[in-house]
Amino acid sequence: MRGIAVLVLTLALAVALAAPAPVQAQGGALIVQVATEPPGLDLTTNPSSAIAAVVFYNVQEALVKVDKHGKLVPWLAERWYTTDSKNYTFFLRKGVRFHNGRELKAADVKFVLERAVNPETKHPYRVQYENIQDVIVKDDYTISVTLKRPEANFLWTVARQGSVIYPREAVETLKTQPLGTGPFTVSEWVRGDRIVLTRNKDYWQKGLPHLDKVTFRFIPDPNSALAALKAGDIDVSGFGLGPESVDELKKDARYQVIVGDTTNDVTLSMNNSKKPYSDKRVRLAITHAMNKEEVLKGAMFGYGKILGSNVDPLNPYYVDVSKRVPYDPVKAKKLLAEAGYPNGFEATFKVAPQYYYTVRSAEVIVSQLAKVGIRARIQQVEWGQWLSQVFCLKPCENPDYDMSIIGHAEAWDIGNFANPKYYFRWDNAEFQKLFKESESAVEDKKRKELYGKMQTMLADEAPAVWLFMHPRLVVTKKGVTGLWKDLPIPSFDLSEVAWQK
Amino acid sequence: MRRYVIRRVAAMAATLVFVSILVFVVIRILPGDPALIILGLEASPDTVARLRHSLGLDRPLPIQYVQWVGHAVAGDLGRSVQYDVPVASLILSRLQVTLPLTLLAGGFMVAAAIPLGVFAATRHRRWGDYLTMVLSQIGVAVPAFWAGLLLILLFSVKLGWVQAGGFDGWSQGVWPAVRSLLLPAVALGLFQFAVLARTTRSAVLEVLREEYVKTARAKGVGEGAVLFRHALSNAMIPVLTVAGIQLGQLIAGSIILESVFYLPGLGRLALGAITARDLPVVQGVVLFVASLIVVINVAVDILYGFLDPRIRYE
Repeated sequence: MRGIAVLVLTLALAVALAAPAPVQAQGGALIVQVATEPPGLDLTTNPSSAIAAVVFYNVQEALVKVDKHGKLVPWLAERWYTTDSKNYTFFLRKGVRFHNGRELKAADVKFVLERAVNPETKHPYRVQYENIQDVIVKDDYTISVTLKRPEANFLWTVARQGSVIYPREAVETLKTQPLGTGPFTVSEWVRGDRIVLTRNKDYWQKGLPHLDKVTFRFIPDPNSALAALKAGDIDVSGFGLGPESVDELKKDARYQVIVGDTTNDVTLSMNNSKKPYSDKRVRLAITHAMNKEEVLKGAMFGYGKILGSNVDPLNPYYVDVSKRVPYDPVKAKKLLAEAGYPNGFEATFKVAPQYYYTVRSAEVIVSQLAKVGIRARIQQVEWGQWLSQVFCLKPCENPDYDMSIIGHAEAWDIGNFANPKYYFRWDNAEFQKLFKESESAVEDKKRKELYGKMQTMLADEAPAVWLFMHPRLVVTKKGVTGLWKDLPIPSFDLSEVAWQK
Repeated sequence: MRRYVIRRVAAMAATLVFVSILVFVVIRILPGDPALIILGLEASPDTVARLRHSLGLDRPLPIQYVQWVGHAVAGDLGRSVQYDVPVASLILSRLQVTLPLTLLAGGFMVAAAIPLGVFAATRHRRWGDYLTMVLSQIGVAVPAFWAGLLLILLFSVKLGWVQAGGFDGWSQGVWPAVRSLLLPAVALGLFQFAVLARTTRSAVLEVLREEYVKTARAKGVGEGAVLFRHALSNAMIPVLTVAGIQLGQLIAGSIILESVFYLPGLGRLALGAITARDLPVVQGVVLFVASLIVVINVAVDILYGFLDPRIRYE
């Protein structure tokens, strides 16, 4: 009897040893540098992308996920259906547990959505949930949402960082100790220094995460970040490394560089409510005067992609309209003369040095504009001042600027141009009509067509000049695998990251 | 002596009140609505209005001031908007970095300045004097952050002796914590010795010209004893005053070094809070540091009174 037991055990051992060794090591720790410390950890009351970087998809998750390719995939909801884009039914995955041990049920989703709609909650994007009329729990794992008006974009709303599902009993501590269903839990937050995430052993995706521990270190200064990387104190430089370091690090065999896409559209804004920018010919002249390739090389060392309108390549409805108003300084001068400025005019760029790429771009653009007679100068303003003067936050009544440059990071923000009060102050009834149609269009094909029309119109009317899409620049030590190349959502997804053996 | 101390303390209280008003007003004139800056570009108007109310920004200024001061005296500096923890506890936790850093830097500064100052005084008008003064001028010209970066490049990236920055806390042991503060302390303190060295030099020179020193020399006391037993203790009085002022400079300079070495100190707390318009933290930190400097100067004044009897009878 004992002989057979030994035989069986030996066979089992042989089988176990013969199994192929994993390419990735299970376990291990990772130290990630980020530039900004999150102002709290509550995704449902603060829109800051610094929070999303740490919490979104690492600690808390949503029903639907935007994956690394920018596609919507089932996540906490296994599947869903809708026939009219007005009534949605979600079927939840079974057996998913929150970090406090309790299983995720439909009642939790109802609580989360209703809380988002409730004005008392101060949800930063409440306007996107206010279309929700009713949330009905059908059974423990089925929930249906009825909207007031058909909204094709609703799935994207459910996938946003503000829609993460958390247990209702933990709602008071969301800011300091967010609980969710994610692969990691927040185990330590040393204010001013680091946040430590530890692996969730009961994560619903078996085999993930690979890492045991992740430490986010806040290093705002790009020089310090580079020094820390070179000294080996950090494993990954997540955000804030300047493009000037990338070329040098690419040649270094100890590191690997990831250059990908983001949804951050760096835009040159013009005050459409002020002369001469109210004249379309002047705006087109400025666009024609712009050599965007040169701007990209000068400001970003060539990293990034040229844009023609407010939609970037990661968006499924992207159309390349960048050639519609090409670089043509001769035409620019002609248009300026037609508009009544044969000798050009003076202008001031208000930029916030907090975003280095805005100042660098402005420096290149000033010399390009000078060639067509526009004498521009750069005025660096502090972020608070930028917000009140350019972005015109209350109590500002009218924006006080000529031109400015800033990156708009929201994935779906073409609607800003349909808002005549937005700081561009562009009021075009036809565009507003197109946008409204696209919001209520139910068929994907129809939306795609409308988005194409909107992008073309933006390029032709030129309320702003879209310079480039800011690239994702991440540098890691050799051996770190599983990081996303592109950043369709502001999440620093670590669920599949591992050290290569 | 008692009257001297009382007068000094009364002056300190008046200064502190003035400082608190100044801090309060300056922060309120900063452009940009704090609530909007905290919530970001896309927040809705009623969210913003709610935050303004909870920050107390919709109440009249004098009332806001009185409320703030009233709580501050009791040790309650409010709650941080960013971190949602009491400001007082934030300051205390950051002090465990900034205080040792400043003291270490001060130590380096004094260790460099006083011997050099004495050396220069004894080599008055000879090459030793000029060399010391040139060195101190170079020290003044070197910006602290540049010195910090160079030190990181050499000792951290190239030699790998210390971490490039960061602070893991005293719980990991005293030596590792001190080690992570060494480079920043050197960058902060070592190059600052110029003013203190000059003060030492002139103070020692003056004392060496005194009658009693001539007497000592006439008695046959050796130059070394003259210097260390008779001259130095009297020369230290003005040096002490300047050192007190320099300490204040070091606290200010620590902000820059904390950014370069990404240390979680008071300076970085203040910097981050200003950008994020975390008003309670900004007010709390500025009030705290200003009070600290005022208190240090008053303490030095009182100490002065003990050391030099002539001053007490002013």
